[in-house]
Amino acid sequence: MPDSFSILASFTAPIEIGTTPASMLWMFPLLAAVSLVYKATKMRVLLTRKYLLESLLLFLSVSGFMIMAIIVLNLLSWLITS
Amino acid sequence: MTQSPNNRSQAEQALWLIIVGLAAWIIPGAGHYLLRERKRGIIIFIVITALFVTGLYIGSIGTVNWVTGRIWFYAQILYSPAVGMIANVTKHGGYPVYGRPCDIGQIYTGIAGLLNLLCVLSAVYMAYCGRGEIIGQEEEPNA
Repeated sequence: MPDSFSILASFTAPIEIGTTPASMLWMFPLLAAVSLVYKATKMRVLLTRKYLLESLLLFLSVSGFMIMAIIVLNLLSWLITS
Repeated sequence: MTQSPNNRSQAEQALWLIIVGLAAWIIPGAGHYLLRERKRGIIIFIVITALFVTGLYIGSIGTVNWVTGRIWFYAQILYSPAVGMIANVTKHGGYPVYGRPCDIGQIYTGIAGLLNLLCVLSAVYMAYCGRGEIIGQEEEPNA
């Protein structure tokens, strides 16, 4: 019982995440979830192997686009401020 | 329950679409489950619920707040009407929420709600088509 209380209590205070570039890594679980759900609604027949492969491809392509966007924005910011 | 749409009257069909839509909103994935798309329903339930719970864990339940985060709440409530109960608990502001964890928590829970909206629309569309004319343009094996 005390274990369940401690689990519930962990939802009443935020975890520690600094305002650092590493905090951007939190986007990857979100992108994975979006890819999985999107493909689950879009595919005509859910064959496990094909579903996982297509979800992975979508995840990689969206992640790649996000990383490119981060690089371009950082370059722009560096050019403006330097 | 899942009879062909051709065998139903217009009123029955409309009622069926409403039931599927409501079920999909109340429990993520339940709409697809009702349409005998069990695998799809289970995937949707697990992924969206994990996303929402992770958001609450990161930012605390204070990220769901009808008073201070109203715009986010509109997205979060799409996850399930149960979010309204969390908002009722947090409306007095007794739970700490701040900084980057708050941002990430709100994004996770908000996106979970919006993904569930996508799944509600998908389930209703599938019900409208008579289950299986699923959204998408994946080619047929013999096409």
